[in-house]
Amino acid sequence: MLFRKGRVLRATFGCNPNSSSLGVDVTFLLFGATFASALALVLGSLLHRPPDP
Amino acid sequence: MKLEVVRARAERFGGIVEVARPRALLHVDREMMRELGQPPSALWDSPAPADAPLVAPTEVHLVLSRRCAAGCTGCYVDATPQGPALSLEQARLVLDELAAMGVFHVALGGGEALELDYLFEVAAHARSVGITPNLTTSGLGLGAPQAARCRVFGQINVSVDGVGEGYRRARGFDGFAHAERALRLLRAVKEEVGVNCVVSRSSFDGLEEVARLVRTLRLNELELLRFKPVGRGARLDQELTPDQARRIYPLARRLMLRHRIRVKLDCSFAPMVFWHRPSARAAAFWGVQGCVAGDVLAAVAPEGDLLGCSFAGPAEADARVPGAIRAAWPGGFSSFRGFVRSAPEPCKSCEYLRLCRGGCRAVAAAHGAFSAPDPGCPRVQEWTARSAAEQKAGTFALPVVRG
Repeated sequence: MLFRKGRVLRATFGCNPNSSSLGVDVTFLLFGATFASALALVLGSLLHRPPDP
Repeated sequence: MKLEVVRARAERFGGIVEVARPRALLHVDREMMRELGQPPSALWDSPAPADAPLVAPTEVHLVLSRRCAAGCTGCYVDATPQGPALSLEQARLVLDELAAMGVFHVALGGGEALELDYLFEVAAHARSVGITPNLTTSGLGLGAPQAARCRVFGQINVSVDGVGEGYRRARGFDGFAHAERALRLLRAVKEEVGVNCVVSRSSFDGLEEVARLVRTLRLNELELLRFKPVGRGARLDQELTPDQARRIYPLARRLMLRHRIRVKLDCSFAPMVFWHRPSARAAAFWGVQGCVAGDVLAAVAPEGDLLGCSFAGPAEADARVPGAIRAAWPGGFSSFRGFVRSAPEPCKSCEYLRLCRGGCRAVAAAHGAFSAPDPGCPRVQEWTARSAAEQKAGTFALPVVRG
């Protein structure tokens, strides 16, 4: 399915090994809201239901 | 290309899905959860409140012990060579409960977790119940056989608060060569290896060298952690100066671009980032948040205390008691969760309040008031200075009229 009605609201990448939580991924914050909106659409279209066991 | 969902859990707004490649947690709405074939949830029967906490943390810091031989001068858990530790059985019980709640990641730390001979059993158990174990270590004493076993972890970060002499100044002993060797050994067996660097007043100027090290060793991230005056760190005068607090976010961006490395700032740096007024929409999408204790994050201390975060907060339950974490989660952590609703100025009027959540509670508590705005926030500092100036001016400008 290329486009879905559902939306990706937030994305965090990687794992946090620390005692304090991951707060700011500087890499991604460089990109603005337009990029985030576009990426949300792309991620939503690529999400894939796992095969039934 | 497809992003296969490996785990998912329902939330009031929809749900959180975990993707393995690239490793990510995605918050999705209810419609997307249905489209992904997730079972309907009773949480979706009513509208989602805007400020409701998650139904479980996504990550939990498991402080396995306060045991460490290094004796770092600023250790926030006050670790000693004979410090207390969670037993293997206790750690397994905690992990079982976290897995049942839908927790995705644990951060294993200490103390020095590698000093525990059952660390790898804890990590293997986490994997067996579907939780990704991550590790922070000093790297001291890590050999090639141990490094090979570290494949069980997701992300491993080695603490490097400075390069060469900078390391000794920051930690109080000359351990840089050991940390660098550990990084090389770990990088030889896995890609998800990075550096944790505590940013203090004295280590600030050495961040460029640490970033260069991350690039040279081809590590996957540099995590900058704000110095917090807790544990043995409370005795040190190492909090960032107001000028450094304003410069940390632009510096992090510069390090990222110059060295082409991934740079992260921990949650306690949120006020320093929002002072630069980034896009709030973008920040929300990328999960840029301040204090997420008792919401995204929880911690379990070696004594069993369930905490909002490992730096601060009252104990909400004894996590070693089966069912205690699950029982405490829905109604607990009010000291953390209540901040936004009752925020004092200047947080109350800040457009980033819902994201920043008043900065770091641990730092505020260390300065005497758990529920006060973070005193390291540039906006708070400006507001305090302005208030003091206005008060002073008012004293001189207004005549005192007595009846």
